Amino acid sequence: MLRLATLLATLFLFSLHLFAQNRITGTVTDATGKGIPGVTVTVKGTNTATQTNETGSFTINAPSNATLVMSAVGYSVTEIALGGQTSVTVRMNTQESALNEVVVTGYGTQRRRDLTGSVASVSARNFNKGVVTAPDQLIQGKVAGVQIVNSSGQPGAAAAVRIRGVASIRAGTQPLYVLDGVQLPGVDARPGSNLGIGTSPSTNPLNFLNPNDIASIEVLKDASATAIYGSRGANGVVIITTRRGQTGQPTLELSTSAGISTVMKRLEVLDGDEYRAALKQYNLTSGDFGGNEDAFDAITRTAYTQNHNFGIGGGSEGARYRFSGGYQDIQGVVRSSQMRKFTGNFSGNFTFLESKRLGLDINLLGTGIQENIAPISEDAGFQGSVIGQALQWNPTHPLRRPNDSIWRNHGLGATTVNPLALLEDWNDRAITSTLIGSISPYFNIVNGLQFRTLISLNKGFGNRRTMLSARTNIQGLEGIGAAGISNNELTTVQFTNTLNFNRQVTSAVYLNAVAGYEYYSTNARNFGVFGRRFPSDISLNYTNLIQYSEQSSRGIGSYESPVTELQSYFIRANANFKDRFAVTATFRADGSTRFGENNKYGYFPSVGFAWTLSNEDFLQGNATLSNLKLRLGYGAVGNQDFTSGASLNRIVFDQQSRSQPQFGNPDLKWETSITSNIGLDFGLFRDRLTGTVEYFIRRTEDALYDQEIARPGPPGRTWINLPGNIENKGLEVSLNGALARGANFNWNVGINGAFIKNRITGLGQQFFETGALRGQGISGATSQRIINNQPLNVYYLARFTGIDRTTGQSNYEGGDPANNKFYVGSPNPKAIVGFSTDATYKKLSLTVNMNGAFGHYLYNNTANTVLPIGNLGTRNIPKSLIGTGVLENTANPVAPSTRYLEKGDYLKLANATLSYRVGNIGAFRNVLISLTGQNLFVITGFSGFDPEVNTNAAVGGIGSFGLEYTPYPTARTILLGLNFSL
Amino acid sequence: MKHVKRIFFLSTALFLFSCTKLDERFRSELESVPGGTALNPADLLLNAYNTMYSPYTDQSRFWAAQQHTSDETVGPTRGPDWDDNGVWRVLHAHTWNADHGFLRDTYNELLGIQFAASQVLTANPSARQAAEARFIRALSMFSVLDGWDQVPYRENLTDFRVLPKTLKGTEAADFIINDLKAVVNDLPDTGPTAAAGANRNAAKALLMKLHLNRGVFANRANPTFAAADMQEVIRLGNEIIASNKYSLSPATVPGYFGNFAPNNDAISTENIYTLYSSNADRRGGNVRSRWYLGLHYNQTPSGWNGFTTLSDFYDKFSAADVRRGGSYPGVTDRTGLRVGFAVGQQFGPNGAVLKDRKGNNLAFTREVKLKEDGNDLEITGIRVFKYPPDLDGEDPSDNDYVIFRYADVMLMVAEAYMRNNQAALATPLVTAVRAARGLGPLTPLDLNTLIDERGRELYWEGWRRQDLIRFGKFLQPTQLRGQSDATRLLFPIPNQQLAVNPNLTQNPGY
Repeated sequence: MLRLATLLATLFLFSLHLFAQNRITGTVTDATGKGIPGVTVTVKGTNTATQTNETGSFTINAPSNATLVMSAVGYSVTEIALGGQTSVTVRMNTQESALNEVVVTGYGTQRRRDLTGSVASVSARNFNKGVVTAPDQLIQGKVAGVQIVNSSGQPGAAAAVRIRGVASIRAGTQPLYVLDGVQLPGVDARPGSNLGIGTSPSTNPLNFLNPNDIASIEVLKDASATAIYGSRGANGVVIITTRRGQTGQPTLELSTSAGISTVMKRLEVLDGDEYRAALKQYNLTSGDFGGNEDAFDAITRTAYTQNHNFGIGGGSEGARYRFSGGYQDIQGVVRSSQMRKFTGNFSGNFTFLESKRLGLDINLLGTGIQENIAPISEDAGFQGSVIGQALQWNPTHPLRRPNDSIWRNHGLGATTVNPLALLEDWNDRAITSTLIGSISPYFNIVNGLQFRTLISLNKGFGNRRTMLSARTNIQGLEGIGAAGISNNELTTVQFTNTLNFNRQVTSAVYLNAVAGYEYYSTNARNFGVFGRRFPSDISLNYTNLIQYSEQSSRGIGSYESPVTELQSYFIRANANFKDRFAVTATFRADGSTRFGENNKYGYFPSVGFAWTLSNEDFLQGNATLSNLKLRLGYGAVGNQDFTSGASLNRIVFDQQSRSQPQFGNPDLKWETSITSNIGLDFGLFRDRLTGTVEYFIRRTEDALYDQEIARPGPPGRTWINLPGNIENKGLEVSLNGALARGANFNWNVGINGAFIKNRITGLGQQFFETGALRGQGISGATSQRIINNQPLNVYYLARFTGIDRTTGQSNYEGGDPANNKFYVGSPNPKAIVGFSTDATYKKLSLTVNMNGAFGHYLYNNTANTVLPIGNLGTRNIPKSLIGTGVLENTANPVAPSTRYLEKGDYLKLANATLSYRVGNIGAFRNVLISLTGQNLFVITGFSGFDPEVNTNAAVGGIGSFGLEYTPYPTARTILLGLNFSL
Repeated sequence: MKHVKRIFFLSTALFLFSCTKLDERFRSELESVPGGTALNPADLLLNAYNTMYSPYTDQSRFWAAQQHTSDETVGPTRGPDWDDNGVWRVLHAHTWNADHGFLRDTYNELLGIQFAASQVLTANPSARQAAEARFIRALSMFSVLDGWDQVPYRENLTDFRVLPKTLKGTEAADFIINDLKAVVNDLPDTGPTAAAGANRNAAKALLMKLHLNRGVFANRANPTFAAADMQEVIRLGNEIIASNKYSLSPATVPGYFGNFAPNNDAISTENIYTLYSSNADRRGGNVRSRWYLGLHYNQTPSGWNGFTTLSDFYDKFSAADVRRGGSYPGVTDRTGLRVGFAVGQQFGPNGAVLKDRKGNNLAFTREVKLKEDGNDLEITGIRVFKYPPDLDGEDPSDNDYVIFRYADVMLMVAEAYMRNNQAALATPLVTAVRAARGLGPLTPLDLNTLIDERGRELYWEGWRRQDLIRFGKFLQPTQLRGQSDATRLLFPIPNQQLAVNPNLTQNPGY
C-alpha cells in the first residue's frame, strides 16, 4: 500500500516536468465580485497549490493547458481550464449551505453542521478596514452580542470587550484570547505611569498582533462552546487564526497605505468674542485679555498615518512557510503623541516520514511597539491633563507671548496650566516588546486520530520613561520636576497535549472528540525608580540623569508575582447522527494556585444538542427554506481572573516595614457562570437570506469579590465568593442577505443586534460604590453602585430638576443633592447593533460598516467639573451654558447629578471603503486601490467627544462603565491604500 | 494491534506531565504563619506607626470629624470648587448619615491601627516594642470610642471569619486604661525632642484624656465627672509637669508656632507626642494639607483654597494673643504668608498685592457661607495656618504632626481641679499658659471661659469636638447652623460595617 503511494507520488513529480510551466495570475471572487482570500488553488492532478491573498488574488505556476481547481470553505469547488490563458478571473459560488464550513473551536476544528454551541466566525474579507491596531477592532459591530468599547481615541487604547454582557464584579470581564492554540494572558508588559497629572490609561494588550496576519476570528459565546476552556471561558473566548503559507512558488504580497487623521468631534466651547459677550452678560469686569485663542486647536493637529506590510508564502507539500513583516506609524491627533509598531511573523508547517504521519507546526512572532504618550490621564485632579487644560483655557488669553515663547506666567491664576507648556514639558515614552514562540508536533496514529503537543512561550518586555519638567506649574512639582523609569517582564508558558478523533465512524455517525492535558503558568516582574528635583533650566530628558535627583526624593521598588499555575484535564465529544441530530458533551477540570487549599479544583461541564430540521423528510426539498437548525446548550464555565495570593495571609515588604495587606480566605473558590442557550439558524431562498436568532441566560454564581471585612483588620478587603448572582439575559439576531446578485452588480447587507438585560440579585444589604468622579470640587464622589435588584453599575445620583430663575442655582429633587440620591439609569446598553453592507459594480466596490448602542446612559464628567459655569471670568465654558434663557449663577456648585447624565445612544459610521480592482500592470499583479474613511460620522445626542467612551473610574478595583472624563479625542481618518503582489 | 499499542502509548503521554501540586509560591511576599519568621516585631511596629498617618493627619479623616463638626472649622462650597458631593457641608451642618465616606474611612483606618498594633504583640516583641504597640493601640481605640462609642476589638488576627467583639462606653474606656497602664513604665522616658515615638509621658497624657472623658463616654448628653477620675487626671498631669522635661514656649509668634514648624522636633519645648514626619526618610502623613487647605491658588506656596474658620471663633482672640498669628521667620519673609489667622489682603513674595483668579483683590473676608453664591467665592472666610509651611521639603513635609502638647496637659489639669471644685489650684496653670501667649490672667475663670481658652490654645489641632461635648456645647448653634440634636454626639456606624459585623448596632438616631 505504502509502496504504491510512493510510486504514484513519484509519477506525479515526474509528470510536472513534462509540460511547459507558465506563471498564471488570477483573482478569485465571490458572486458579488469581491475577492475571496484563503482560497486554495490547485493545478488539477498535481500537488502544486497556492492560496489567494487578502484581495483574492493568486499566482501559480502551471502548464498552459492545465485545469485549476479552486476550493474554499463555504464555496462550491470550482474548476477552470486555462486553455492558454495566463490571467484568469474565477467566480466561486457559495455552497448551497455553509454547513460544510470548518470552524475553529477550542483545541481543534469542527464542521459547522456539527456545532451545537454559539460560535460566530468572521473571516479576513469581512474585517473592518482602516487604522487598526488590535484585532478586536477588526470585528467591532460584526458579531451579535459582542460589545467593543474603546476607552478613548488614543492610538492603541484599551477596549472593553463584553461578550453577552458583563458577568463579574471584581474578576476580569474580558474574554479569553487564543492565538493559534496559544492562550494569551490578557495583559501586556507596558508599565503604567502616574506622574504629576494622574494615572495614564492602559493600552490594548492585543496591540502586538498585526491585523494583516489574521485569517479569521471566531467568537465562542455560550457554555457549550467555551466549556472546553473551563475556568477561563466565562467571559467568552475569541480564537484568532493567523494566515499560513500554501504549497507552490513563493508569492510576495505587498500592501501600503497612508492617511490623515483629524479630531472627529470637538467640544463646543466659547471663542474669544463669545467669551467677551458672556462676560458682559454676567457683568464681569475681569477675564478679558483681548485675544482670540483656540487652545484645543493648538494642542491637536492633522496627523499622518502609514502602514506597510509584506508577506511571502509558499513551500512544498511537506514544508510550507509564511513570513511577514509590518510597519505601522500612527501619529496621534494630540500633538507629540505617536505609536509605531514593528511586527514580524513566521509560520512553518512541516510533515515528515514517508507516511506523512508526523508533522510539526511552528509559529514565531515578534513585535516592538514604541509609543510617545500624550499627557492625558484618566483621573486628573483640579489642574487637569492636557485635554482639560485646553478646554478650560480662556479664549481671550494668548497661549504664546508676542515673541512666540509659551506663555507660562500668564494671567489665569497660578494653578492654571498652559496646555502648550505641559506638552513641551512632558516626555513619556514606552517600548513594549512581545515574543511568542510555539512549536507543535503531531502524529496521526490512525486515520482520524491525532496526537498533538503544543509548547509555547510568550515573553513580554516593557520599558517606560516618563518625565515632567520643573518648569511646569503643577502644584507640588513646580520648580521640582519628576522622572520615573519602570520595567516590566511578563512570561507565559503553555504546554498542551491533546488527542483528537475526527471521523465518520459508521454511515450514520460522525464523531469528533478531543481529550487533553494542559499546564499554563504566568509570571510577572517589575522594577522601577523614581526621583524628583531636577534643574528647570535644562532641556535634557530627566530620565537620562535620574542620579541628579535629590536623594531623599527617590523611590525604588521591585516585585515578582507569585507563581501562578493552572493545570487542566479536558474532554469533548461531538457526535452527528445522519446530519440530523448533533450532540456535544464537554468537561474540563481546572486546578489553580490562586484558590484556597479547600477548593483548588473546579469542574466545568456542558452539553449541547442540535437538530437540523431542514434535513428531515418534512422539510426536505422545501423551496423557500434551505436551512433550519435548532441548537440547545447548557453548561458551566469559570472565572479565575483576579489577583494571586488571596487565599493566604501574606506579609508584604515596604520601606523597612512589613505589613499584612489583607486576610486570606482558604475557602475561596471559582466564580461560575451557568449559561443556557437556545438558537435557531436558518437560510431562505437558497441561502440568499441567512440568519441566526439566539436567546441566552447567563447567571454568575459565587462571584469573586474582595469584600469589606469586619474591622479591625488589615487595610485591604478580603476575597470571598459573594452570595449573590449576576444575571444577563438576552436575545441576539443576525441576518445576512444578498439583495442583488448579478453579473455586474451585487449588493449584500448584514445586520446584527443584541438586546441584553443585566441584573444583580441575592446581595442582601451590601452594596459597593464605583464610578469615581474626577476634577475640581468633586473629590471622593462616586456615581455608580453595585446593588441588589439593579443592573450592574447602576447610576446613583441626585436628580437635577433645573436652574432656579431667581437664584441661578441648580434645584434637585428632595433638596440637598448630597442627601437625596436615586437610581437613575444604567450604563449598559439595552441594544447593541451592527450593520454592514457591500456593493460591487464591475471592478468598483463599496463597503460600509456601522455600529451603535442604544438605551444606556453616559456620565459626562468633563462637563461636570472641567467646564462648569464657575469658570467664567477666568477659564472657558461650553457654548451650551450661554443663551439658555436662564442666567446660571457662577457660584452654582458642581454637585454630581443627572444634569450630567446623558443618553448614550449612537450610531457610528465606523468605516467605509471604496476600492477599485485595477488588475495586472506589467510585473505588478492584482493591483487594488482603496480609499477608506474611518469614524466618518456619529449620530448621537451625547455632548462629549465620542459616545463610544469608557474612561476608567474604578473604585478599589470595582470596574466602572460609561464615564467620560477628558479622554483622548477620537480621530477621523482618511486612508489611501495600494495592494499588489509580485 | 499495532494501532492499539500506539494509542496506548500516546494516551499515557497525555498525562505524563500532570503532576504539578499547585501550591502558591511567593517571591516578593511571605506567608504569615503564627509564630513564623514572617512576623518581624521591629518591622511590624514601624508599620503600626505608619498606619497612624492617614487617619490622624489627612484632612478628610479624624481631623475633619473633630474640626468640621465644631465651631472652629467649615469647608464652604465655592461654586465649582469644594462641593465634593456635600461631604464637608454635612459635617458642619450636622446632617451627615451612615453612608458618609470620610467618616467610614476614618472608622476603618483607626481600627486598622488597632490591627497593626495587635499584630506586633503576636510577633515576640521586646517589652519596649510591646509597650509602644499597646500605646498606639490605646490611642486608636480611644479615638474610636470618642467618635463612635462602639469599639470592635479583634482577638483572632488570622481568621477573618471570627468576628471582633464590641467594647462600649465606660467598659471600653476601662479596657484601654488597663491595657495602657500595664506598660507605661516599659516606655522610654523621653522629652520634647524625642516626642515622635511612644513615650512614658505620652501614655500619661493619653490616660489623662481617658479619665477626663470617662464620664462623657458613660453619658455624652449629660456627663458627670467622678472625683476619682479627676484626681487621676491631676496626678498624671502633675507627674508630667514634675518631670521637668517640658516648658511653655516663649510668648512670641515664632515661639508658639514653632511647635508646629518643620523643625518642631528640634525647637519645640511643648510637644509630648507627635507623629514622625521626615522628607528625607520618606515617612510622614499629610501634614502639608494643613496649609494647602487654606492657601489660595495664587498664594505662595500655592494651595487648594478650601477650609476657613468662623468669625465668631476668630473674635474670641484678642489682638495681643500671639496665637492669633503674625510673621514667621523663614516663611513670611520669603512668601509674604503670615502664620495663624489670615484675614484681609494677602501678599506674595516681595510684598506683591495678590488677586484671586476672578480679578478680585485676594482679601479674605470675615464672613463665609456653607454655600458661597457671589463673585467673591474664592476669597471668603478667615484662613488658618497653624503649621508654618515646609517650603523646602516636598510631600511628606518635615513638620511632625502634634497629638499631645504640654499646654494641653496644663489645661487638662486645670479643668480637673475645677471639676473637683479646686478652682484656686487651676488658676496658676491657666495663667501660666496665657502668659506664654502674651496675655494676662483669665477672668473670670470658669468652665465657660476655660472652654474658650482651650479653643484659643488648641484650635485646629483636632480636639475641638471632644472638648465641646465634654463642656456640653457641641450641639449649640454656630453662625452657619442651628441647634442640633443629641444624635450628633456620636457618629453613625458605617453601613458597610453593619452589613458585615453583626456584633455592631447602629447608634441611636441613624
